[in-house]
Amino acid sequence: MLNLNRRDFFKLIGAGSIGTGAGFLLGESMKNPVELLIPYLIPPEDIVPGVATWYNTVCNQCGAGCGVMVKVMEGRAKKIEGNPAHPVNQGKLCPLGQAGLQVLYNPDRLRNPLKRTGERGSGKFQEIPWEEALTTLADRVGGLSGPGASDRVHLLSGRAGGHLDELFSRFMDQLGSRSYLQYEFAHPHNLYLANKLLFDEERLPYYDIKNTQYLLSFGADYLTSWLSPVHHGLSYGHMRQGRPGRRGKFVQVEPRLSLTGANADEWVPAKPGTEGLLALGIAHLMVRNGHYEGDDQDKWSRALDEYTPERVSRQTGVDAQRLASIAEEFARSRPSLAIGGGTAANHTNGVSNLVAFNSLNYLAGNLQKPGGILFNPPSDSPSLLSASPHKSQAPYARLLALMERLSKTKDSLLLLHHCNPLFNLPDTVEIKAAFQNAGMIVSLTNFMDESTMMADLVLPTHSYLESWGDDVPEPGVGFPVAAISQPVVAPLYDTRAAGDILLLLADKIGGDVRNALPWSNMEAYLKSAWKRIYVEKGAVIESSTFESFWKAVLQAGVWGETGSKDAPGVRISGKHLLSQLAYEAPRFAGDQEAYPYILHPFVSQAFHDGRGANLPWMQELPDPTTSVVYGSWVELNPRTAMHLGIREGDLLWVESPTGKIKVPAYLYPAIMPGVVAMPIGQGHSAYGQYAKGRGANPIQILAPLTDVKSGALAWAATRVRITKTGERVEILKTDGTPRELGRNITGKRITMIPIDASPGELASNRVTGPNKG
Amino acid sequence: MSDSDSIKEKWKKYRNPGYQDKFDYSWGMVIDLDRCTGCEACVTACQAENNLPIVGEEGFRSGREIKWIRIERYWDGEYPDIKLRFIPMLCQHCDNAPCEPVCPVYATYHNQDGLNVQVYNRCIGTRSCAAYCPYDARSFNWFSFTWDKPLDEQLNPDVTVREKGVMEKCTFCIQRIRQAKDTAKDQNRRVRDGEVQPACVQSCPTQALVFGDRNDPDSAVSKLAQNPRGYQVLKELNTNPSIIYLKNL
Repeated sequence: MLNLNRRDFFKLIGAGSIGTGAGFLLGESMKNPVELLIPYLIPPEDIVPGVATWYNTVCNQCGAGCGVMVKVMEGRAKKIEGNPAHPVNQGKLCPLGQAGLQVLYNPDRLRNPLKRTGERGSGKFQEIPWEEALTTLADRVGGLSGPGASDRVHLLSGRAGGHLDELFSRFMDQLGSRSYLQYEFAHPHNLYLANKLLFDEERLPYYDIKNTQYLLSFGADYLTSWLSPVHHGLSYGHMRQGRPGRRGKFVQVEPRLSLTGANADEWVPAKPGTEGLLALGIAHLMVRNGHYEGDDQDKWSRALDEYTPERVSRQTGVDAQRLASIAEEFARSRPSLAIGGGTAANHTNGVSNLVAFNSLNYLAGNLQKPGGILFNPPSDSPSLLSASPHKSQAPYARLLALMERLSKTKDSLLLLHHCNPLFNLPDTVEIKAAFQNAGMIVSLTNFMDESTMMADLVLPTHSYLESWGDDVPEPGVGFPVAAISQPVVAPLYDTRAAGDILLLLADKIGGDVRNALPWSNMEAYLKSAWKRIYVEKGAVIESSTFESFWKAVLQAGVWGETGSKDAPGVRISGKHLLSQLAYEAPRFAGDQEAYPYILHPFVSQAFHDGRGANLPWMQELPDPTTSVVYGSWVELNPRTAMHLGIREGDLLWVESPTGKIKVPAYLYPAIMPGVVAMPIGQGHSAYGQYAKGRGANPIQILAPLTDVKSGALAWAATRVRITKTGERVEILKTDGTPRELGRNITGKRITMIPIDASPGELASNRVTGPNKG
Repeated sequence: MSDSDSIKEKWKKYRNPGYQDKFDYSWGMVIDLDRCTGCEACVTACQAENNLPIVGEEGFRSGREIKWIRIERYWDGEYPDIKLRFIPMLCQHCDNAPCEPVCPVYATYHNQDGLNVQVYNRCIGTRSCAAYCPYDARSFNWFSFTWDKPLDEQLNPDVTVREKGVMEKCTFCIQRIRQAKDTAKDQNRRVRDGEVQPACVQSCPTQALVFGDRNDPDSAVSKLAQNPRGYQVLKELNTNPSIIYLKNL
């Protein structure tokens, strides 16, 4: 172990080039820094008082993989901004990404390894030294590995991109277990499958919102939660006002107006689950009106024959005239683009809906065209750039299988890594029972969340701002991109990076496992992996040595292969589409009589799938469409509410066939009368002081229906009934009056006149308000 | 000349066209509502940059929240023909700021850059300025807020942490402006267009917010302000805000 004190540490940092991060010294060396004064006479490079050093790294708050730049002053992280050089977010960043500082400095961070002392789930833990924790675990893992380990050793991780994913698979391979899964609630399984069915590509293409002229979005909340919201934000701004004289039109189809929908020119509420039918109705009209010019027109018109405007209008609830105008505009605008996500892609017919949306792109000729769908070219560097965060992601069906194995096998071991299945899976999965039966549960995480409460051993990890890692953004941006995340500050507590923990374990287990994973820490592992890329891509890399390449990538925060060619090998033929086209009606859990409303859960911007709920900034960020803070609510159409005699703040039971939760009512003027909506994210029973005991979690009461084709949880397919509890609470919200009342604040009544600079003209052009003469 | 005449005289001068030209800079912002999606990235950016307190659930319940920028949203119409419009609202840095003449201690005044600034040390907490602000842009510190340790590690050392009894509001990130001006002065030049970006502008994913010097006719702000979609909020009050909104189409 390197014996470094704080002063030497900072000196060494100073000797490195600017921006290469504190990280290259970390690992074993910085566990207990000796507090010494910093020599300000000749201050080290990044310790000039009042002068900030910026380090590039990668955001880990959702799966988009934005590059971030962290402002560090005197060894403390002060602010996170987007990395202007990163092609995904180009210097911009969403609220959740900016709140990453509160992951790092959260008062509820786990600081020491913990061993369970009370009953499982009682939350009674005792601090133990790392050595003891790792030895216990290594003994256990060593004993369980070998033939048949797939039944005994399981690793369930949240999203882990790049080489951490690879390290996890290698580690599990060595143990002889194939039970390595990743689970994220919002992972678009259905979208991947639809792409595979249609284009033989199990990757996400690039949706060129930026250059499109007509965007038709079926439920994709692309500005807050769908795929890569910050990148979509950049694209959206450009689509609207970035091209002089051309303003892209945007139509959103969804049962409840989302933030994205609020920005649309037209909002089309269609009955939940029938979005695919609506798309086929549009396709029918496009073909019938001669907008499709391919030579298989006959086949298409036969395949689409049954989706007449009358039928589609009757079943979707969208007016036939409106259907016709959308079809006409979609076909005539060049280029146009249809996308789908959110609840539209997460009914029992999610995949079939997505196929229908893509048929519009095919018919309008939007594939592989700017402003349409562009396929991301795969890299010819096999080591990294073909990595996809999708390959380890488990759909719901596989998680069920895992839980079953846990309940049936004796002496099993479950490793959790930044994953909270107890919060992110419906109650019907009976995870608690499965966990109770597990031989041992070990959680590698930052916070005491619901699942970690059930653990026997808790190994606190570095936050992402203290760890090494890398990431390949998915969806890509049209050319292969990879980014390295580096520690930007010294670790605050006695924690270890997840990768380091695995490598330490491998070392303790010894034998083949150690030989297969010989690296001393994550940084060394990462470097060896990137060395392979350096060798494979040597021709296009300018740096003369690996070290200079590595430093350059760290400094820039990102490396991209801009010179790469177009996507080869993508089959764009109508045949695949035609064979998959048939519409399936959605199924719902619960009988319509007993459960009259369809529950529309939505991934909230601030909390994502619930991970942001322990960040005070996110709790205090008003929900963009309701302005509610600190809590959750269920949205009802005011008419429905009037009918039921419900006022805002009435506590309601929202009851599905599989469970019920108590949540206050909010009257939301832009939701279909048969639908009730709830944000995902609140309702934690653990997860620290800011999250615990606030609101309710709609995932709990979701019925266990899955997509027919993908096996992913159909989280939009639950019916509920609503009953009043008789209690009332105050919903905390920041808005004043929700209407403008003639004050003309948003300028909608302003006629287009140039701004007049002089006060004289100002007076003469005075806008006349309702109270003025 | 009587007192009232002299005040009138000064007032006229103050309101003369071209008055701003005498400033070193005249910082202003253009907010394109056709780009703004209401995502609130600016709100968090501002909170991080300017050490805005975490007021807690009880703070919100008693209306003690402090935000320098917020997204106001307004419904228009009824289901199903309903629209939701967003507008970022922050201190408008009015040329004729109603908050300024009412402060008994000159805690809020116009500085040489045309900014409406708040001097925390002078503020005695009469809250008159907040009462006079038609944009509801000012927040009062009813308490000395604290940060649960170690959340205070994040605090920006370039910005004062305000105490109980002080009014605060958007400064256009004056610390960033100062820094840019210092750098420019060292290099014997003016601040370049785009060199200063307040935190909200920096973070905006759709680039709806643009900041710059209105005295420079070639700046992005000056050019955008000529856009026929431009308007000022509550223009009829003659506050002449430094923020030009471009109306949503």
